[in-house]
Amino acid sequence: MDVCRTFYGVTVIASLLMLSACGHSEGGSVSVQPQSLPAEGTMSQVPVGQLAGAAADTLGPTISNPYGSSPQAIHEGRALYLKMNCAGCHGYGAKGNMGPDLTDKYWRYGGAPANVYKSIYDGRPKGMPAWGQAMPPQEIWKIVAYIQSLGGTVPAGEFQRSQEGDVSDTQVAPEVTKARRAAANARNGSQPAPQLQPSQAQPEGTGQ
Amino acid sequence: MQLPAYARLPRRAHHRVMGSSMALLLGIALGVCTGRIIAAPAAKPAANGMALAETAPSGPVVPPIQGAQSASSAQSAPARAQSLQSRIPQSPAPAQSSPPPAAANSGTPPVAAPPIPSTLPASEQTAPSAGAPGSATSSESPPPATSAPAAPPNAPSPGVAAPNAPPAGAGPGQPAPAPSASGKSLTGATFNFAPNDPPGEWRSQARDYANTRYSPLNEINTRNVDQLQIAWTFSDGTKNGHEAAPLVVGDTMYVVTPFPDMLFALDLSKPGAPIKWTFKPNPSPMAIGKACCDTVNRGMVYADGKIIYNLLDDHTVAVDATTGKQAWRTKMGNVESGETMTMAPLAVGDKVYVGDSGGEMGVRGWIAALDVKTGKQLWRAYSTGPDKDVRIGKNFKPYYSWMQGKNLGVSSWPAGMWKHGGGTVWGWISYDPETNLIYYGTSNPGPRVPVQRPGYNMWTSTIFARDADTGMAHWAYQTTPHDRWDYDAVNEDILMDLKIHGKMRKVLVHFDRNAYAYTIDRTTGEVLVAAPFAYENWSPGINMKTGMPIVNKAKEPKPNVALKHLCPPDIGGKDWQPAAASPRTGLVYADIFNICMDLVDHRVGYIPSTPYDGMEMHRYPAPGGNLGEFMAWNPATGKKVWSIKEKYMTMSGVLATAGDVVFYGTADGWFRAVNAWTGKVLWSQKLGSGIIGQPVTYLGPDHRQYIAIVAGIGGAATVRADKKALQLVGFPAGGNTVYVFSLGGKSISSSPAKLTTGGKPQKKHLPANNKEH
Repeated sequence: MDVCRTFYGVTVIASLLMLSACGHSEGGSVSVQPQSLPAEGTMSQVPVGQLAGAAADTLGPTISNPYGSSPQAIHEGRALYLKMNCAGCHGYGAKGNMGPDLTDKYWRYGGAPANVYKSIYDGRPKGMPAWGQAMPPQEIWKIVAYIQSLGGTVPAGEFQRSQEGDVSDTQVAPEVTKARRAAANARNGSQPAPQLQPSQAQPEGTGQ
Repeated sequence: MQLPAYARLPRRAHHRVMGSSMALLLGIALGVCTGRIIAAPAAKPAANGMALAETAPSGPVVPPIQGAQSASSAQSAPARAQSLQSRIPQSPAPAQSSPPPAAANSGTPPVAAPPIPSTLPASEQTAPSAGAPGSATSSESPPPATSAPAAPPNAPSPGVAAPNAPPAGAGPGQPAPAPSASGKSLTGATFNFAPNDPPGEWRSQARDYANTRYSPLNEINTRNVDQLQIAWTFSDGTKNGHEAAPLVVGDTMYVVTPFPDMLFALDLSKPGAPIKWTFKPNPSPMAIGKACCDTVNRGMVYADGKIIYNLLDDHTVAVDATTGKQAWRTKMGNVESGETMTMAPLAVGDKVYVGDSGGEMGVRGWIAALDVKTGKQLWRAYSTGPDKDVRIGKNFKPYYSWMQGKNLGVSSWPAGMWKHGGGTVWGWISYDPETNLIYYGTSNPGPRVPVQRPGYNMWTSTIFARDADTGMAHWAYQTTPHDRWDYDAVNEDILMDLKIHGKMRKVLVHFDRNAYAYTIDRTTGEVLVAAPFAYENWSPGINMKTGMPIVNKAKEPKPNVALKHLCPPDIGGKDWQPAAASPRTGLVYADIFNICMDLVDHRVGYIPSTPYDGMEMHRYPAPGGNLGEFMAWNPATGKKVWSIKEKYMTMSGVLATAGDVVFYGTADGWFRAVNAWTGKVLWSQKLGSGIIGQPVTYLGPDHRQYIAIVAGIGGAATVRADKKALQLVGFPAGGNTVYVFSLGGKSISSSPAKLTTGGKPQKKHLPANNKEH
């Protein structure tokens, strides 16, 4: 039995099941086109992470998200993020729960777009499933675009500096700023998320 | 007003315990705003308490125990148990006065616990100082022993009062029973304490099959518990939530850690309880990302010379208790699928019972029995699916008609959805030797979005009674049919015999996550009492004819619709943290929650290895503003007797003792001792981290009574998204420390001569362990 095929089959079924729920956020639009995907085999050369003693990773940092900061890619990436149950572990706000926070600046396996892609494609040892067989590269890149829009990732050009701890919290690449704005517009425009306000919550320190 | 904890500590304890002025300030702040008592009798005047705090350390210093080292370290555990037993006065209660019979199934009649005298000779007691007997006039006076008919009514009870009586001259303060502390059990509940382990030991998480978490030890009691100080500590070096109780078997303490599920054996016969051995099972790290609510472990059980517990990556492992070598390891599931194991096994006779976790991951829940000797699986009963899989046969007789029928584990689901329907078994298991039945509960259904699974979703959120040998079901009761809020039924079932409506009934008492406390006939599954114990608004009541909860339609979630102010939240009016029961008061003591949530459901598809969940929620305090509460509950009437509100969550286990003291901890790190009759806080100690562990008590090789608790916040108490609403900003970070307390902090290492393992005393001006540097 081909486990991968079955897995993909289940995913397709799951996706079909999800259409009614997610359809409105897909908007029925013609799918956004990537600029150009990295050549076949390129991504497999990006190492898993920064291992001590290994040769410096010069490839990963240079690969940009082929969707750039396309608002539609971010929008579709968000829909995929929900559809593929990413939210179950990483939270509906991507701020972490069972899985790590995807909005902060701490990345176990690298925070450049190519590193995030690899983490999704290959999975990671502490429970992150491998999605390479379940989703085509385009969809993974859209999810990466959504994660980039959250502002915690490292811009492709600044990978090496981030490895050396030199990316400050205030220094945000124009690419990220643009992506954030686009994401905000996309959310406000077509998908009014239910606002959850813990209004009854006591302010810190006044519980008595 | 209750004195803040810092005021009750001897002066020198500030330095030793608090460690820094920062901690002290924190202690003051928290002490002032927590520990508020409601519905408790009048507290003693503050002046008295202050006097107590100031004078306590000036009392006589306990002299070194003569010859303790040679005597205690040479004395084997059975011998110690025997020596303890020999000091127990003749008692009409048979179950406690003789060592346990080997056969677990030979049911002993339920009895109230007889009093047991303090185990230290009077000369070794930490005598209360002259200023202390203020306690004698306060409401915290221990009542006369409840179950010693031989004792004259007005004489000090041999169990509690005698060795610890205030010195002569207590004068007007002759022990006078407090109004509510009549000394007579408030419910008359009786318990079967099988397997009747040695009184000074703690061999399973709940101490007994009935899940009472009650210890017959009473050297530490209402009169002297405020003299508790830290005797020694142990850090296991892991992070994440520490939910397990340490075990004490013979002269060894066993401590299990969260992932990577290490097991430490500590030698209690040596100063400082050094590590004997460490067992490292190396579970798969994949399990880390599959555990919904932190990488916790809820503890182990001692059986057949082995320590048996579950690994997060779905293995049950048995470790030789003497050598620390693995005896067997059995693979119980596939962690890749999202299944994990976190619960504490229960061992009865030659079987050990285990279950799985992962109700949020599309897992199909089960309970299994393994052979204690070999680890071989004897049977496995699923919580969903055809009757054959659920081990439902001709003996299955649910009390209520809506649970009767064939293959309800299939037909109460949309086609095929039972295969990923949850119903995992991650809580506690009880056992009744008389009926030879085990009792346990199953988790929420999957996915957590109810609109995707119309039907009752059997047998999720259900209490099961099964034959302990065959696993065949005898009855079931679904506490929350078609659960819509994540109300698992996995919480502990405490077994007792109780008079209800004038008739003695064999019952189990169960505080469900759905905020109802159930008193259920454990032979039939009939609900006798059902009453809310925590703030809730999902159900206006239980229909006592059908056993069916009445549901508030306004609180039923619908996909993508924000539902405000739903109480209790997913973690319930009480989560897995187990309650304790005392045969002396007849009450049950529990850490409960006062929390609500806002909820949005998202439809989800089943994708293997990912959450099958769909609930997005934010939790915050329910009306009153406090998140936690510690309460005494009358299981016969379904009413609270007293309660203590806590600002932060109360998510620790509870310990009840024959000293009429109950212990619990808070998520912000306060460990408290409370008068079991009145709810008066008698002692509090701030620990290094929040407490979600389970307190235990034991006799050391030196015959002292010790109290042990692990502090290490984590688990569902610190779900990240809720940090702000749950007031977790500035909350203690994780921890991993076992704290062990004794009266005056005395222990086997108190005397300088005992501080080396080499035998010869060191020069006085040198640190005693200098030799090792």
